[in-house]
Amino acid sequence: MTIMGVREEKPGVRVALTGNESIARGALEAGVAYAASYPGSPTAEVLGTLAKVAGEHDIYVEWSVNEKVALEGAAAASFTGLRSLTVMKADGLNVALDFAGALAISGCRGGMVIVVGDDPAAHSSVREEDSRNLCKVIHLPVLEPSSVEEAMDMTREAFSLSEELALPVVVRCVTRVCHASGDVKLGKIARTEREPEFQRGDRVITFGIALHAMQEQKLTRASALFCKSGFNSYTGPQRAQRLIIASGPSYMYALEALEMLDLSRETGVLKLGTTWPLPESLLLDYLINASEVVFAEEVEPFVEDNVMALAARHWKDIGSITFYGKRSGHVAGPAGPGIGEMNPDILAGSLSKITGAAFKSPVLSGRKGALELLGEKMPGRDLALCAGCPHRASFWSIKTALELDGRGGIVLGDIGCYTLGIARTGYHILQTVHCMGAGVGIAGGMGKLDRFGFNRPVITVVGDSTFYHAAVPALINARYNRSNFMLVLLDNETTAMTGHQPHPGRSSTATGEPADTVHMEDIIRGIGIPCSLQDPYDVEATIDVICRMLQQEGPRVLILRRTCALAAVKGKQKNRVYVDGKRCIGDACGCGRFCSKVFSCPANIWDAESGKARIDEAVCNGCGVCATLCPRQAITVERTV
Amino acid sequence: MPGQDRLKRDIIDRGLCSSCGMCVGLCPYIKTAGDMVRVINPCGLAEGACYSVCPKVSLDLREMDLAVFGREREDQALGVVREIYFARAGENRAAKAQYGGVASALAAFALKEGMVTGMALAGGGVLCPRPVLARTVDEVNGCAGSKYTAVPSLAVLNRALREGMSGLGLVGRPCQIAAARKAQAGNLAGDQFSNPQAVGMALGLFCFWSLSPDFYRFAFRRVKGEEMVRMDIPLEGPVVETNSGNCRWQLEEIRPFIKKPCSLCFDSTSEWADLSVGSTEFDPSWNTLIVRSDKGRELVDLALRRGAIEIAQYPEERLPLLRRAALNKKMRVLGLPEFEDGKPGFPVVGRYREQIEAQWGGVNQ
Ligand SMILES: Cc1cc2nc3c(=O)[nH]c(=O)nc-3n(C[C@H](O)[C@H](O)[C@H](O)COP(=O)(O)OP(=O)(O)OC[C@H]3O[C@@H](n4cnc5c(N)ncnc54)[C@H](O)[C@@H]3O)c2cc1C
Ligand code: SF4
Ligand code: SF4
Repeated sequence: MTIMGVREEKPGVRVALTGNESIARGALEAGVAYAASYPGSPTAEVLGTLAKVAGEHDIYVEWSVNEKVALEGAAAASFTGLRSLTVMKADGLNVALDFAGALAISGCRGGMVIVVGDDPAAHSSVREEDSRNLCKVIHLPVLEPSSVEEAMDMTREAFSLSEELALPVVVRCVTRVCHASGDVKLGKIARTEREPEFQRGDRVITFGIALHAMQEQKLTRASALFCKSGFNSYTGPQRAQRLIIASGPSYMYALEALEMLDLSRETGVLKLGTTWPLPESLLLDYLINASEVVFAEEVEPFVEDNVMALAARHWKDIGSITFYGKRSGHVAGPAGPGIGEMNPDILAGSLSKITGAAFKSPVLSGRKGALELLGEKMPGRDLALCAGCPHRASFWSIKTALELDGRGGIVLGDIGCYTLGIARTGYHILQTVHCMGAGVGIAGGMGKLDRFGFNRPVITVVGDSTFYHAAVPALINARYNRSNFMLVLLDNETTAMTGHQPHPGRSSTATGEPADTVHMEDIIRGIGIPCSLQDPYDVEATIDVICRMLQQEGPRVLILRRTCALAAVKGKQKNRVYVDGKRCIGDACGCGRFCSKVFSCPANIWDAESGKARIDEAVCNGCGVCATLCPRQAITVERTV
Repeated sequence: MPGQDRLKRDIIDRGLCSSCGMCVGLCPYIKTAGDMVRVINPCGLAEGACYSVCPKVSLDLREMDLAVFGREREDQALGVVREIYFARAGENRAAKAQYGGVASALAAFALKEGMVTGMALAGGGVLCPRPVLARTVDEVNGCAGSKYTAVPSLAVLNRALREGMSGLGLVGRPCQIAAARKAQAGNLAGDQFSNPQAVGMALGLFCFWSLSPDFYRFAFRRVKGEEMVRMDIPLEGPVVETNSGNCRWQLEEIRPFIKKPCSLCFDSTSEWADLSVGSTEFDPSWNTLIVRSDKGRELVDLALRRGAIEIAQYPEERLPLLRRAALNKKMRVLGLPEFEDGKPGFPVVGRYREQIEAQWGGVNQ
């Protein structure tokens, strides 16, 4: 992380930044005044970076309760003429979509940029949604950086474009750009000199079809502007017959693939930095000469479909072209066309299929190559909750309580670290996972099915940040309609999954100023729902209270509160936990290696040599939960305080 | 001996577990809450102590007699009996005691005299009973009074043994006494089982059946939220006393609440206990006390000398009634169409069967 680089005042200097820092810098150079976000990978660090420099540049930076609220706040700043930035992951755009769609009709004033982080291959998401399709639906222009530097430039320029069109502009940035580091040439940081104003009588309203017509005009104008945009560029021979149309990092991959196949001289590459609306006349200029067009983009065939539609409209002028891409099946990763990320090898393979150029896929390529090389030597590694994670203890208690209850109770999941409850690390306990807050809504429905004979106890788990983000309306609904389920609120006192951002339950804001904490207990009790509190590290007591609450009726909430293990040990000396070799009797115990095989905290390991359990002290976070579960009390905790 | 998998399939999943609690906590996978005992995760081992200690499998009556008393019983109704009395607590009777308070008085006395280090009891209120390891007289008195649900109180016994305690005692239902004796018989993995001093005193209760916790909820609704001061189950059927009067049910009304394993159970007087304590079905301020073992005799003698309990002669004419009730229970089980010697849930009756039938002597006796 190079916050120094983001701070650097001297224009023209080259610094190394991550894609996310680069976006933040771009916003600073554009004179952003208001920035709001809900944390989500891959763009979570943008707002955190701005928060660090907010004081010195006098910008307002907030972690909002969710993306819709973030966008609404940012729109307010724009209505008064200030420049504003909103950052969200693709899933967040879904949350904000209702307002975003309305805003695209009403338009905005001060430049308004929405950075959307798409996550091809779903590295840290539940899905790999391609947000460009949604932007098209709601009529918002989209820019797509292909490199770290371009992420900065595009963000900065998107503000001017937004003001020119009186329309928010989306910068769609994929994981490989957000998380990469690159050399960036800085521009000048601009300070807001604007005075916000929204006078009586000013109106920004979404109403009627007249505005729809205006919206279409704005997009037509955007298309014209894009034809002259420096973000679109062409490399290759004049009048190339074979043309690659590439967007995002696929542009870089395309250049590399052509080099590998030695096809650079005869193939043109048209880089599209402005992917919606299409720069139509620019595209037509190149399509006229081409007889073969190859598409390189992530994830869905978005440019591909729209360019093919454009070509169909102009087929008389441009003649016959063969299109190679996801639709034809030629451009496809190992999972199939339109699924997962691109890389130079995939594109080289595709081009080799199309042109017949020889290409030997390098042995050491991607995950498959790595597996081939290391397969034997590398033990398989499951996705796992961290050592000492309170969720592990919570899941163990829920699992135990449901077995004890014996009525075949079900558990519904939600989005957060605890989504890992679908995996072995969470004892495969979660049976549904969809989107932020959905678990509570689904539980609400399940809890109304008794009249049809569905009588299983229903538990739904939701994290603290997700609770504030999207679970509250579902809880209100449950109370109002008297649904019957138990909500277990896994409160680790932070937004852990995206890097420990604060949320309304915390006592400080994004910029570290004191906040008015909104206690979840108050919300829940305010709705009229009974709410109990328990420390999940006390497994026995937790099992007991879950068993008791399972017997109750109506909506009810159990808060399992314990700070995220990583946050808890930060800067502190950890408790020392160790196995007493005299008490642990290894396989003679009859526990079947409970700590390392079943409870499965990553710090509980098996020492083959002594035939006994051991604690990996480097990994252990000192929670001591395993010590309370070991049937022989063989694990000792030395508390530091 | 098989292990957890069979225990789960043969006993727990079939609803045959009487929640004695003996298997709970032997490993991290068998847990209890309320009156429920469940396997929460397979341990993956083919053999396990949990199966061996369960009183609902392979309970061979004759072998148990030999292991505990070194001889076979002559009386098929009550098992090995040395003496039988009416008894009641001395002046320190526990306030909440069910009848004469003998069970609590003896438990407290054994603790006070250092004859045991802790007693596994059933504490908590009737609506929320829980296993307790009592180490003081006050703690024993706090547990007085019958909870008619199946409290898995042996779970605490197990835990204490694992922690290295020894010389423990228990007050338990007959199935619990059987379980503790099975555990005591040894030959089991784990050092807690190889200590012959582990369980020093087994005080058994009379028990014809235990009830599902639903019963208390049902009763609670019937007394319309009034406090249930005391409950008793005399032969005519259950009674709940509240501050404003009594609520009675016919036995038939509460039959649906009887736990399934209890209908298959053979032992109503804790036949392998050192001492057995029950009601008199006659005078609620007294208990029936059966002395079975030398150890039981010693405790009674000492308790008498120190005034912890007092005894009276057992009325000659009541003995046939008690024997009849005990034999009736056994005959009912033997008469069940699904009865099979040693089948999960049933004991191995073996050649005792003929003697039982002979001593019972037919319906008209
Ligand atoms: C489920 C059940 C059914 C019974 N059925 C009969 C019967 O049909 N006929 C009969 O004569 N007697 C029966 N009894 C025994 C009787 O209720 C008294 O417990 C016994 O007579 C001792 O009386 P006390 O005054 O000495 O008891 P107290 O001094 O009050 O002591 C009672 C002791 O029993 C323990 N205890 C209470 N509930 C349970 C439980 N559920 N499981 C294990 N231990 C428990 C307590 O820890 C306490 O130590 C039954 C007891 C139970 C628990
Ligand atoms: S009867 Fe006792 S030993 Fe058998 S399964 Fe039930 S609790 Fe375990
Ligand atoms: S009737 Fe038998 S099985 Fe049921 S609680 Fe009493 S002793 Fe246990």
